[in-house]
Amino acid sequence: MKPMGLISTPFITYQGINVKNIDLIEDAWGFNSEFCDVLDLLRHVKPVPEKSLTMNLIEKIRKKI
Amino acid sequence: MISDYELIMRFIKGEQSCFEKLIHRHKNKVFAYISLYIRDQALAEDIFQDTFLKVIQSVKSGKYSDNGKFISWVMRISHNLIIDHFRRIKQMNTVSNDNYDSDLFNSKSFAENNIEDDMIKRQIQKDVRNMISHLPDDQREVVILRHYAGLSFKEIADITDVSINTALGRMRYALINMRRIMAEKKISLTLN
Repeated sequence: MKPMGLISTPFITYQGINVKNIDLIEDAWGFNSEFCDVLDLLRHVKPVPEKSLTMNLIEKIRKKI
Repeated sequence: MISDYELIMRFIKGEQSCFEKLIHRHKNKVFAYISLYIRDQALAEDIFQDTFLKVIQSVKSGKYSDNGKFISWVMRISHNLIIDHFRRIKQMNTVSNDNYDSDLFNSKSFAENNIEDDMIKRQIQKDVRNMISHLPDDQREVVILRHYAGLSFKEIADITDVSINTALGRMRYALINMRRIMAEKKISLTLN
């Protein structure tokens, strides 16, 4: 018979829980699990500024400084 | 990676390129927030530029005090500029700017995909934008700030001057509303 530690699910230490980049408040409200269908859809829109817009802005800043 | 604070400090000391790095680092989040919130492409571009110009002005005049939340501070400036815009519109009593059907989908290039895939993607993106645009302003703002700008609920609450619970409540209503719109308009991840 193997010792219990080798066959059972290991305990996660408190320090071992990864909460980096997780909003714990949001997590507590369970949005990600309850509304995964809606959130998946939202990921399909990724607005980014045109390159020319960014360059134009940088030009303006260079002139201003 | 150099922190935002360090880049600002170096910019203040005269390294102009440091501010450009900040722009490249945060431009997508700022633009996403503005363009999804106000929808008018030309106006979104103006406010996007004004935001960073105002940030420079404030940094140069010593108004920025770092608390590790540079992006949150920039978003607040955007938020205030958007509010100012709507106030001006209201005073002028002009009608709003709902021409968001003009193509705002300057997302990733579609070049490598075939035409059918492009059509499906574009249709889904259009539907999603429509879905977001149907939300009440306060709900739409929370969705954009959380999902596209990546702010925490605490930061969203600070920017919009409400409690964290109110921000969370708005998010919940927004998600429920969007699910309802999805069902009504039969929006899904495939083309009908």
